Amino acid sequence: MHITHRFQPARLRTAAFALAVLGLVAGTVSAGPAQFVIVNINAAGVGFNDPTPATPVGGNPGTTLGEQRLIAFQYAASLWSTRLDSSVPIRIRAQFTPLGAGVLGSAGPVSVVRDFPNAPLSGTWYHVALANKLAGIDLLPANDDINANFSTNFNFYLGLDSNHGTLNDLVTVLLHEFAHGLGFSQNASLTTGALLAGFPDHYNSKLFDTTVNKFWPQMTSAERLASATNFGHVVWTGSYVTAGVPNVLSFGTPTVAVNSPVSIAGAYQFGTAAFGPAIGHPNVAGNVEAAVDAVEIGGTSTDGCSPFTNAGTIAGKIALVERGLCGFAQKARNATDAGALAVIIYNQAANVNAAPAAMGDDGVNGAFVTIPAVSLRRADGLAIAGQLSVGVSANIVIDLTVRAGADPLGRARLYAPFPVVGGSSISHYDTIASRNLLMEPAINPDLTHRVKAPDDLTFELLRDVGWTFPDADGDGFADDEDCNAHSITTATIVIGGIDTGVPNHLFETGCTSSDLIAALHSGAGNHGGFVSGVAHLSDGWVADGLISGREKGAIQSAAAKND
Amino acid sequence: MNRRESVKKPASAGKSATRRAGTRIVPVLAVVAAVSMLIAWSGSAVSAGGDQGQVVKAKKYKATRPFVPDKQTGEIRMPTQQEVDEIVSNLDALGQRPTETLQQSAQANGAVSLDLDGGFGGIVLGRPNADGTWETKCVFTVEEGAEFLGLVEDDSAR
Repeated sequence: MHITHRFQPARLRTAAFALAVLGLVAGTVSAGPAQFVIVNINAAGVGFNDPTPATPVGGNPGTTLGEQRLIAFQYAASLWSTRLDSSVPIRIRAQFTPLGAGVLGSAGPVSVVRDFPNAPLSGTWYHVALANKLAGIDLLPANDDINANFSTNFNFYLGLDSNHGTLNDLVTVLLHEFAHGLGFSQNASLTTGALLAGFPDHYNSKLFDTTVNKFWPQMTSAERLASATNFGHVVWTGSYVTAGVPNVLSFGTPTVAVNSPVSIAGAYQFGTAAFGPAIGHPNVAGNVEAAVDAVEIGGTSTDGCSPFTNAGTIAGKIALVERGLCGFAQKARNATDAGALAVIIYNQAANVNAAPAAMGDDGVNGAFVTIPAVSLRRADGLAIAGQLSVGVSANIVIDLTVRAGADPLGRARLYAPFPVVGGSSISHYDTIASRNLLMEPAINPDLTHRVKAPDDLTFELLRDVGWTFPDADGDGFADDEDCNAHSITTATIVIGGIDTGVPNHLFETGCTSSDLIAALHSGAGNHGGFVSGVAHLSDGWVADGLISGREKGAIQSAAAKND
Repeated sequence: MNRRESVKKPASAGKSATRRAGTRIVPVLAVVAAVSMLIAWSGSAVSAGGDQGQVVKAKKYKATRPFVPDKQTGEIRMPTQQEVDEIVSNLDALGQRPTETLQQSAQANGAVSLDLDGGFGGIVLGRPNADGTWETKCVFTVEEGAEFLGLVEDDSAR
């Protein structure tokens, strides 16, 4: 059903103020919540069939280990089921097997499909579960849709209530991995940049590089490869995610940026320190100067491992130091002692292709560091060093104008660190996001089982790639959040067969004007009570500016004539 | 033997389950279409082609940090070499992207499918923190997983 939103004036005072007017055009019929089928491929006695007795935990009523695993799987699937609409069951081929220490599990699509009936984009791969949903048929009926293989070695929390303590919450992990299988991943090679078998996928089509101003399918392989490590500049352009960003991500992006010269200006990928104040405490803006120190055995004059010999120059500036020989904390302590505002430590030649370091404390010097310390890639450090002769101005700040995890235009950032991180790059949200998101590469312990705004942006991304939600009456409200999943959606309010001619409004709760009148009819003890209730209701609508006095009269007249 | 079990709905989904009875027309059409697809199921295999094939090399890794909870003591210990080999083998199987061997299948209705052969999935890894909690990360390749777990290529073994 097509719905045209029309926001009402702020003076509306009823709790259920009008949000929209029903377009009342016959539209797509919701297929209903997607049915997930867990295809248990474990043999008897193991995995899902492990008979080891278990005590029910956290709402999981299973009494064997195998039962609890299966129930956790079913529960995670059911959470997606309430969010996703499909007429084609989604089959998850699942098992628990020994995977070795540290390996918790794996999941992903079994197949991808292109150029199927109703495909939104031609020549574009879709994960098979999504392709089936869009086609309305099972395109590969002989196959399952998602592979899932989890570890019998690992002690997961199998409760359903998120109360996992120090254990890993299996349901959260499953929500994340199922999302990959449902469409939250891309398939282009991050080794060569080549598209999968020469075709882009649905996910690629929403990936935009803000440096070259191209979508991924428009790029050459070389451009895609470069984009995969273009930290902070690969964004998701889907409208649902972008609309959800303000409700999920908070303002305040930790930023290390060069302001001038223009040739090297921009935000840089950086690492943080486990010692000293965090970025933004305080914000630092100043000129960068290279620290100079004595050359120790095996060291250089730029490694900052001994007291700076140019402390007079460094004071009040941002010190630039090269990684190596001694610990990060010692370098930062020397910068502190020299009166620097902050210190940048960039990778040495031995780490030329490494990411900016996550800087640990040495247990001695960190306590004496009172300035922010950040790390940079070697290429970025050298770029800054190469411009010091003309003056380099930089900021190390919390940028309160940009949401953490979004770009300045409010588009969600994808994970694009240097160096590229296998397949994880791009197929996750940026780790800088705050709040933590389900689809960051790290599955953080503070995640909930809620997958949509205002708690998360996973569902929004799945909507952007083609998933819809169960919406029986087509009013734009998901059934589980709709005050009436089967609203009366006539164009005008009809009471007892009398068409009042008054527009049937859709309220922000998902109920329509007609729903509210019908509820009064059901709840009223007699005709008088119904008429009185309608009068009270329609008076409120007039006061709120929702209907005119004449329209109120039409409603009340029809109610009075109703048997 | 595969055993198929329908997912249980949480209590809040009961309304939706009831409502589905009113929208049977779509599933019925889907079944009809699916049967048509089955009849048309005569996919012909064509080469995946593309230039992104990666040859999986058999690398030998060694551990550099403890991350295995000892079953006897509960302490976190270094993995044995056998455990390292097992982990790498599993990462290799779960994370490989064997594009050179993938087969596209053309369907009668114009659709083309590509079986990913068990690859292209996310792999969840965990390593213990000092406070008893676990750091968990989703990776997609052996190299990524090895780095997270502190496994480095062991050249001395070759």
